[in-house]
Amino acid sequence: MSDPIYTEIIIDEARNPQNEGTLENPDISQHDSNPMCGDSITLQMNVTDDSINDIKWSGEGCTICKACTSVLTQLIKGKNIDFAKNLKKEEILSELGLEYLAKQSPIRIKCALLSMKALKLGLYSYLAKKLAGSLSLDNLKDDAANLY
Amino acid sequence: MQSIESSIENIRKDFPILKRKVRDNKLLVYLDNASTTQKPKQVIDAITNYYNNYNANIHRSVYSIAEEATEAYERVRDKVAKFLNISKREEIIFVRGTTEGINLVAYAWGRKYIKEGDIIVTTEYEHHSNIVPWQLLVKEKGAKLEYIEINDNGELILDQLDKYLATGKVKLVVFSLMSNVLGTISDAEKIISKCHEAGVKTLVDAAQAVPHMSVDVTKLGCDFFAFSAHKMLGPTGIGVLWVRKSVLETMDPFHGGGDMIREVHKYETTWNDLPYKFEAGTPNIADVIGFGSAIDYLSQLGMEAVRKHEMELTQYALDKMSQIKGIVIYGPKDVSKRGGVISFNFHDVHPHDVATIVDREGIAIRSGHHCAQVLMEKLNVAATNRASFYIYNTKQDVDKLIQSLGKVSELFKL
Repeated sequence: MSDPIYTEIIIDEARNPQNEGTLENPDISQHDSNPMCGDSITLQMNVTDDSINDIKWSGEGCTICKACTSVLTQLIKGKNIDFAKNLKKEEILSELGLEYLAKQSPIRIKCALLSMKALKLGLYSYLAKKLAGSLSLDNLKDDAANLY
Repeated sequence: MQSIESSIENIRKDFPILKRKVRDNKLLVYLDNASTTQKPKQVIDAITNYYNNYNANIHRSVYSIAEEATEAYERVRDKVAKFLNISKREEIIFVRGTTEGINLVAYAWGRKYIKEGDIIVTTEYEHHSNIVPWQLLVKEKGAKLEYIEINDNGELILDQLDKYLATGKVKLVVFSLMSNVLGTISDAEKIISKCHEAGVKTLVDAAQAVPHMSVDVTKLGCDFFAFSAHKMLGPTGIGVLWVRKSVLETMDPFHGGGDMIREVHKYETTWNDLPYKFEAGTPNIADVIGFGSAIDYLSQLGMEAVRKHEMELTQYALDKMSQIKGIVIYGPKDVSKRGGVISFNFHDVHPHDVATIVDREGIAIRSGHHCAQVLMEKLNVAATNRASFYIYNTKQDVDKLIQSLGKVSELFKL
């Protein structure tokens, strides 16, 4: 039986998510939650030479939220901050075959993108401390605000 | 009185939405009645009729349709009084809903009478609307908010109330008559009599109770009582706050504006009589009129029959659901102590996923924290699924829900 959302990839990814846990002294720690369903995650990152050399997440989430968070952390681990800054939601959704969610389920899309929102907000706070008042920063905040 | 079961086909015909097909041509099975109920055509027609035939502002003009509108609006106040056995119609204030009713009390009574060091007692199974207004108030006043906890059965541990009352600092005890998550029916008689003895005021959140069981406000003996129309076949955006007259008379206005005044001068204003003092601005006339039809509809069925139908349905659902492997049901098991609200979790599948999968079969259940995060923390869960029943639900609806849980097991290989 095939299901438009609950494919084996998603269920497996959510059951065995990667990078779950916490970091001891993270450079970035960002919590976010979805007040509607109770999805609640914290994303933590360590940054060395503009590269995200470690990333962990912790919290509670539904299958979609967990699977997407797992994929997101795998995608950006070891990558440059610029890569993470510019990451598009379509890249996460397509990894899991969830592209249609954006159009068809305005409610469940929030589950899928919660971790991305935390990522963008976390990077924003981190970079805001480093480079005050830069234009590219404003975009990042807008990106996070307009994600859903 | 006829049983609901014997007339259920006719009842269902009154609700146009129950003919609706959703998703892949599946007949809608609506099991989210604790959230809001569907509306019978009688309610929809009453609203349309007002707009089509006598739309006018009330309490102001002398022309014919204004008189008709005022009469229709005020007649609903009488219907509410009769429905809940309230003897003084001026104690009934129309508000937007339970939330506004509670906020009105927190603002117009609480800000006047709650002082530093006072205690307000609420419970662990309250809706956010019976927690947050009190948090705002106690923070402003330097007062304290305390909680009556629940036991493993989902019932209030009332001994804890004694402990708080003994401090002599409690000014108000607030509680819901029926939990919107666990379905637990509070022992209101006991709580209110304890508070009376201690000279403490009580507020009852009856949003879940009034739609589903016979309630007698006079007998209850509380001081404040709030509920919403939309959870009892009526429209959204309208509800009732009842306040004991001796208390209401001591309260300052909530909103200032038209209709709530007697005379306005440049620097001084005198207030209108009760209840108008608390109904500033043009009210939600159409929906009050629609609400009147909802009360008529329920009165015709009889609240004893409504309660009996839901108890039978809840018993049926609890029996069937408790046989399913991996299901955890929250709240009392005894249907005489609970309403038709069943919160549950299924294996380790997140409620949001369960709700999405059952929705494929056209079944609407709620998933989430149900505006009761304090209770979720207590139960140590992030969320639950919740199926809740009303007069148009059948045993077949329950069967369909249970069948669709099978699909969840299949997909998640449980």
